Amino acid sequence: MAVDETARNYTHPLYDTLLAAPGLNVLAGSVDQLLTWGLKNSLWIFPMATSCCGIEFMAASASRVDLDRMGTIPRATPRQADVMVVAGTITVKMAPRVKKLWDQMPEPKWCVAMGSCAISGDFYRDLYPTVPGIDTVIPVDVYIPGCPPNPEAVMAGMLRLQEKIALVRQGLFPPHGSSKEDRPETAKMANPAVRRLLDPARDAAITAHQVTLAGTPSPDTVDSPPLPVDASTAGSADRDLEALLRDRFGVTEFPKDAPPLVDAAFHVELARTLRDRGFRQYVTCVASHWPGDPETFEVATVLRSTGSGSQLAAWRVRVAAGEPVDSLCGVFAGADWQEREQFDLVGLRFAGHPDLRRVMMPEDYVGHPLRRDFASDAPCAPWR
Amino acid sequence: MSAPQPQHRIELAVHEGEGDLMLVNFGPQHPSTHGVFRIKLLLDGEIVVKAVPYPGFLHRGVEKLAERLTFTQLGPIVDKNDYIAPMTNEQAIFMAFEKLLGIEVPRRARWMRTLFAELQRVASHLLWLGTFALDLGGALGGGATVFLYCFRERELVLDLFEEVTGARFHYNTHTMGGNRHDLPAGYAQKVHATLDVIAARLVEYEHLTSTNRIFDVRTRGVGTISSELALGLGLTGPVLRASGVDHDLRRDAPYGAYDEVPVNVMTETSGDCLARALVRIREMTESIRLARALIDGMPEGPICGAKAIKTPTQFKAASGQVYVGIETPRGELGTYVIAGGNERGAAPYRLKIRPPSYHAMSVLPYVLPGHMVSDVVAILGSLDPIMGEVDR
Repeated sequence: MAVDETARNYTHPLYDTLLAAPGLNVLAGSVDQLLTWGLKNSLWIFPMATSCCGIEFMAASASRVDLDRMGTIPRATPRQADVMVVAGTITVKMAPRVKKLWDQMPEPKWCVAMGSCAISGDFYRDLYPTVPGIDTVIPVDVYIPGCPPNPEAVMAGMLRLQEKIALVRQGLFPPHGSSKEDRPETAKMANPAVRRLLDPARDAAITAHQVTLAGTPSPDTVDSPPLPVDASTAGSADRDLEALLRDRFGVTEFPKDAPPLVDAAFHVELARTLRDRGFRQYVTCVASHWPGDPETFEVATVLRSTGSGSQLAAWRVRVAAGEPVDSLCGVFAGADWQEREQFDLVGLRFAGHPDLRRVMMPEDYVGHPLRRDFASDAPCAPWR
Repeated sequence: MSAPQPQHRIELAVHEGEGDLMLVNFGPQHPSTHGVFRIKLLLDGEIVVKAVPYPGFLHRGVEKLAERLTFTQLGPIVDKNDYIAPMTNEQAIFMAFEKLLGIEVPRRARWMRTLFAELQRVASHLLWLGTFALDLGGALGGGATVFLYCFRERELVLDLFEEVTGARFHYNTHTMGGNRHDLPAGYAQKVHATLDVIAARLVEYEHLTSTNRIFDVRTRGVGTISSELALGLGLTGPVLRASGVDHDLRRDAPYGAYDEVPVNVMTETSGDCLARALVRIREMTESIRLARALIDGMPEGPICGAKAIKTPTQFKAASGQVYVGIETPRGELGTYVIAGGNERGAAPYRLKIRPPSYHAMSVLPYVLPGHMVSDVVAILGSLDPIMGEVDR
């Protein structure tokens, strides 16, 4: 369709009859002006707020800036909204949902990309989970730059959208909503600037290069100067912990700059012992991947005692690649999600975990991004 | 003694076609999920039978990004994790890096960081109160009244930050060994004037909410978390204190200026939504008191360590593993850094951020069953989750 025909994106059979009737086109023109005025001054916003920009969008519609005075009102449902404001980072897991919500909005509709993540992906652009700009998914009418944009910038962006709506209805500006080929905004969809979305075959060479850059260190070569001992953790409980590890778990080395390394067979028993000794709060577990010869995985676990004079207890276990680590789910309920996350991102299996599913990445994602041999700009599966 | 198990182990498919059970998707795009978060709810009428949360819709790969950036470059990146409280994010990550590298922070910088953290706590809890009132909806005049009031006061705190750092949020004001921006002249008067306004209005909000009968009915006895479950799940911050555990890292493992400015820890024992709300409302008053004490006693001196690290080669000496946890508005924000071994030099080998909200959300399968659908929103809001931090 040519641009001049699609300029009116409000269509009705009666509308064409009016235009065709002699003398009535003056009236039709007035009606058209009225409709334009109504359209651009009653923009109901569907906030597709995912992250930080969503908070600034809330601030824009709250007391001080008061976006509502321009006839906008946030609607939490796409079915009653005219404008989708994409505020925040869109990930490959979220992108299909955004597309679905966009498709649920009735025509005429517009999209505002708010903030640098929605515009281009910002510094997450080359990372495995992030969509490099929402305009690779849906057509965008107005871009509001900033990280995040001030509420004043949001208001300026909405005013620009009103101008655009008026121009489009006068036929002076191409609309986005006609056909895919006519949309300059979505030209990127056919020819994306970001290679990884289109070229999954490119990874081998770049991955190899990235691995070279990242290096393949071995934990045994790490040699370091001693660090000053933190006064807050150098209490008597620390010495008790050392004695416990030495007597019951056969630990001989206590490095000053890292938690002691414990035999993986004692992992659960140690956790249970420490819990009974007052370290009742589960803090975190950190799996790390150490490629090289031999390839190993390390899991550091941190527990805490509560109340006055709170102490940390931390230890590491090391397993060969392919070996699982015993799950602490039976001791601490909090290990559940933490171990799922480490499984998802690092690729270490936890034996005895009741529910070892992916938690961050989509269920059908292949690979474990926090492994050292995973290139930091490795291609990801494009959103579907 | 074994840990309590959540009720989401049974596959939902088992229940398909079983009586009147209904599967309802809550999120990922829902205004009450405070971001993008999905919960599968299995309902019997309006009662939740099972709840399966699905986080990860905002997983942005910060920990992977950290592998190719230098330590100092990570400050503005972690701002975006907990975007309601960027000040405490920066503080957490730089405290870990400083401990790793053995860098001393000047006293004035420690006091400034603590001042910002307390002001941030006020701003964060104000935003929580506003959105929590929206979650409770019709109970409070549509909820929008409290929301608009709270945002009005939050803007005042953001103005204070903007004057120092030039940004409304994502401040990038902490750096290795100290702060980047010094306090401008006459800042103390402005802080006091702002806190006067907020302190007076907090009294109003307490009347609007905790003495409101509908607020009480919708929160009392809803979403009770026992102290044992809270500890085992790693819940921290106001959620833990509302369950009767007297634990606050500001007092129990002091950092910054908290060893010189003692903190009164607010606790409640009932562990329900009302308790969590009360703890946060009282913490705002306590934070205002702390902020006043901090700005009054602000020491003179340099704001950044004399031997600031400027070149990446200096980072290359760093090795070892450290964990540092601090008390953010949502609880213990931990940073676990593994340094050394990265041949690219000044980048961490592995960075792990331990977000308090992630643990807070993991309580949902335990507490949601047995509640009404409307209570789901109240419980979710009372946990004060920030998805940027849950998913990173």
